Amino acid sequence: MYRQTFRRSFARIRNGWVALSLLGVAAVLLPNLYILLNLFHQPNENWQHIREYMLKDYVLQSLWLVLCTGICTVLIGVTLAWLVSAYDFPLKRFFRWALILPLAIPPYIAAYTYSTMFSYTGAIQKFFRYQLGMTVDQKYFDVMSVKGAVFIFTMFLFPYVYLITKAFLERQSAAYIESARLLGKNSLQIFFQVVLPISRSAIIGGVSLVVFEVLSDYGVTSYFGIPTFSTAIFQTWFGMYDLDSAVRLAALLMTGIIGLFLLEKLLRSRVKFHSSTSKTRPLKPIKLGGLSAAAAFLFCLAIFSCAFLIPFVQLVAWAKLSYQDVVNRTFIQLTFNTLSVAVIATVVIVVLAAVVANVSRIRESFFSEVAAKLIAMGYSIPGAVIAIGVLSVFISLDQQLSGLYSLLGWGEKKLVLSLSLVMLVFAYVIRFLAVGFNPIEAGFEKVGKQYYEASRMLGLGMTRTFFRVDLPMIRGAVLSASILAFVEITKELPLTLLLRPFNFETLATKTYQYANDEQIIEASIPSLLIIGISMISVLLFHRVGEEKQER
Amino acid sequence: MNFFEIRDLSFRYQNAKEWTMQNFNLSISQGQIVGVLGRSGSGKSTLLRLIAGLEEPAGGTITIAGVAVVGQQKFVEPEERGVGMVFQDYALFPHITVSQNIVFGLHRLSRAERAKRLDEMLELVQLRGYERRYPHELSGGQQQRVALARALAPKPAILLMDEPFSNLDADLKGKIRQELKEILNRAKMTCIFVTHDNEDVDAICDRVVYMEAGG
Amino acid sequence: MGKKRMISGWLVAVLAAGLLAGCGSQAGEGTAPAEDQGTNKEQAVNVYTARHYESDDKLFEMFTAKTGIKVNVVKGKAEELIERLKREGESTEADLFITVDGGVLNTAKEAGVLQPIQSEAVDQRVPKQLRDKDNQWVGISTRARVIVYSKERVKPEQLSTYEDLATDKWKGKVLVRSSTSLYNQSLLASFIELGGEQQAEEWAKGIVSNMARKPEGADRDQAKAIVAGVGDVAIMNTYYVGLLVNSKDPEEVKVGESIGVFFPNQQTTGTHINVSGVGLTKHSKNKENAVKLIEFLTDKEAQTLLTQANYEFPVNAEADMPELLKSWGEFKAQEIDFAALGTHNKKALEIFNKVGWK
Repeated sequence: MYRQTFRRSFARIRNGWVALSLLGVAAVLLPNLYILLNLFHQPNENWQHIREYMLKDYVLQSLWLVLCTGICTVLIGVTLAWLVSAYDFPLKRFFRWALILPLAIPPYIAAYTYSTMFSYTGAIQKFFRYQLGMTVDQKYFDVMSVKGAVFIFTMFLFPYVYLITKAFLERQSAAYIESARLLGKNSLQIFFQVVLPISRSAIIGGVSLVVFEVLSDYGVTSYFGIPTFSTAIFQTWFGMYDLDSAVRLAALLMTGIIGLFLLEKLLRSRVKFHSSTSKTRPLKPIKLGGLSAAAAFLFCLAIFSCAFLIPFVQLVAWAKLSYQDVVNRTFIQLTFNTLSVAVIATVVIVVLAAVVANVSRIRESFFSEVAAKLIAMGYSIPGAVIAIGVLSVFISLDQQLSGLYSLLGWGEKKLVLSLSLVMLVFAYVIRFLAVGFNPIEAGFEKVGKQYYEASRMLGLGMTRTFFRVDLPMIRGAVLSASILAFVEITKELPLTLLLRPFNFETLATKTYQYANDEQIIEASIPSLLIIGISMISVLLFHRVGEEKQER
Repeated sequence: MNFFEIRDLSFRYQNAKEWTMQNFNLSISQGQIVGVLGRSGSGKSTLLRLIAGLEEPAGGTITIAGVAVVGQQKFVEPEERGVGMVFQDYALFPHITVSQNIVFGLHRLSRAERAKRLDEMLELVQLRGYERRYPHELSGGQQQRVALARALAPKPAILLMDEPFSNLDADLKGKIRQELKEILNRAKMTCIFVTHDNEDVDAICDRVVYMEAGG
Repeated sequence: MGKKRMISGWLVAVLAAGLLAGCGSQAGEGTAPAEDQGTNKEQAVNVYTARHYESDDKLFEMFTAKTGIKVNVVKGKAEELIERLKREGESTEADLFITVDGGVLNTAKEAGVLQPIQSEAVDQRVPKQLRDKDNQWVGISTRARVIVYSKERVKPEQLSTYEDLATDKWKGKVLVRSSTSLYNQSLLASFIELGGEQQAEEWAKGIVSNMARKPEGADRDQAKAIVAGVGDVAIMNTYYVGLLVNSKDPEEVKVGESIGVFFPNQQTTGTHINVSGVGLTKHSKNKENAVKLIEFLTDKEAQTLLTQANYEFPVNAEADMPELLKSWGEFKAQEIDFAALGTHNKKALEIFNKVGWK
């Protein structure tokens, strides 16, 4: 009886969807596997030292950072999502989209900006020194600490939680929240007893992105001098010249992440609910009056200022100081490079994410579950480590293909793929697939399988169903996915640095060039361009989202 | 050989220890309306999903209109079985209108044929004038009729209905039962009808099957 | 019908794959570097560089204008680029490898990705101690890691050596960045080379107990912290002082002007200096052009531009240094083999970890 089922399912794998998702998963896993395999090598003589002096401290420090940032982003992100979706107060329509803008600022740029602002020569201390004539104790202005890092990460990563939770609350929570209101619960009770529990799945989705981002960060923590797991990886590689041990550390990190994934799975699977009827009404906001309106407004304003306005204004001020020296024609080229590579990679990511998510929800087999999770793993690994995995795979691919190259008459050139943008795009896909995958998976989860089944019953195959039913219904999720992936890629640095072809500069690498040399003022212009591009995409995203709601 | 036949059908959900269904048999002749009664958890809905091809049985065969859709090495995908289904909560596509919902399964027909069929269906379920509405703009009873029209439009060999009245008001039920009976008779539809309500069965069905868990 | 469904499924797959390939090749074309294999097509030289200075870009432009040889650049972190060179092996397209830090240059040499540079012009211009002993790399500029002090609170006479900073005299007054900085690693590595592990470890321990605050920020931040009164003395690189004094931010200029530069260990082992250098890759395909570029980088004109823009010390004595650098005068530099910075780097890191220099 089992053999019968097995043989039948094998025949069905010939389905293009399954084949394509298998292919995608395999391609993405290859470099990750390369890293993981390192765990089985014999550790070398440095390992003892690493274990003794680096591992425990750095792991604890990382966990602490992740924990604090996680809690803060949830508090801020969920509170804002709740305020904005359940209430009306002054400028709420503005805050609805403005609170996504912090995503446009890469944390490393924010870190440079804030620490320079708060430094002795920064605007804030200057104000105290000259306007108020006060000499201030430096310890109150110490941004470059664990607290400062938590602040930076929270302010510039909370929109992940905000975005996903808000989408959920606005579209899905009406029935629950309205019935709680009718049951005489006050706002606080509703928030803690209804909103938090029902949006658990959305919150976990958002916060896991935050966690991965923090774990793989190197820019902020290395600038602030905070030892984390990433620091340990790079210390081992750049300091001890021991790539094997560095990759081994990365493999350990990866193992930890897989653990986290399983935990997330566990947390989420028990609360897998989609709305029980096809009628989902949008949540109707309540108008706030007087003090509470002012409080809501001020809270939103405060967060928006810290997370966007202040650093943005500061960067503009610096840009005024430096634009004459920095701006020239090459910036058009830089912007074009940044845009084109980000668009290509985003398209690939979204297509692949949609295919895999679709297959994994329809075929709820062990394989698709696990594969769908592993595929997102790249997000947690420091870019430079992925880069090495990707580089190894591509160079060996080139060696395999060298026969083909000479057949094509390209002469003795041996490296084709690994000197082209294909490698960089591929690396982006590995790194940011999770960013595209999570919203799409959540979108599918929200819609449920019933429409898909109804369509199949009406004689449409998987592909037609996807285009006629699934895609229109998860359009919002696909857009969120594209926008998040696009913004991430625009900001990405370590992969771009190592894997780009000759003469290929992006805005991020230009920013790095200046910031690395502590020329933060010169770095302001490419930073602003990155922020500008990200802002435009966020605005577009918002408009399309609104149109959809109005219909 | 009957028009519709199930032999020795067995099924259990992934990771479940207990069989939802073991060696289940059922045969129906053309035009019959069969009610399936049983408590919740007895596998009624699972039976419909197995017939529809939305779940894959561990063993057994299913034959629809003389064609084996599940057999030894055979599994026909749902879209090729010629089975219509009215879901418990209707699953009307929220992003398209009533008429688009009804013609959704008619993609193999020409434009003119499609219009004709739409017209017939609107007539059958008496929903003229609602073509351009979206599902959420309809009442529960109207939604149910759209769902029925959508399922019947491609002329399925057999119609499956999963608790079609569970979302309706009590005073509506009597009237709608009557309507449904008439529609099904007019369409000469073979139908399997899952419910937990004896009154449904009395009003509509020619025959009743009782289901118990694991059996 | 079944067939039709399967075909449409496959179509999706093929389309997506095609998209991937299409995008890739299209984007690849515009940027692939050298169709110019050194034959009679366009002349080019391909550079992997870990130096991210604007001045370097200008130099490459000047070189192209002068010789017609195009310079293709990949910038990255030094260790990553070495790894890339290693993995690319014989098939590499890179001709030159440029980076900061003698230790790293030596690592590249040890990794076997470089080959000796043969050029009399270069040998003449660049003093022997600023070249690899097998000429596998050649220095293009140097920087000194010095002591800077508050002009207000510290008199230069109070300063003498790096070792002095580790004594109780400076308790709670020393500012220095984190040990993750290669600059600190190389500094400590030079002490290991000069006085042995034991002495180096004691020095590091002394500095840690004298620190005015936990290491944070980069070199410039140490200077700012001096002016802000967090500490009195800091260890930092010379060219940052130059960049501060010439900053676009008037406030930074003030910082630069309120600190003094002191070259330590003049009576003893000399001030720690480090070198930026260029190496010729082992499997270079445009060797002639590559050597031309090295010769250009070390000639008077380029060296002048480098030091004027970046406040590094030139390797070519003929170059014209900026006033600020001239005002510091001559100084005695450490006389060690730069290779030692690389070989002791691991040990240095171990010491930092042991003594808790974060």
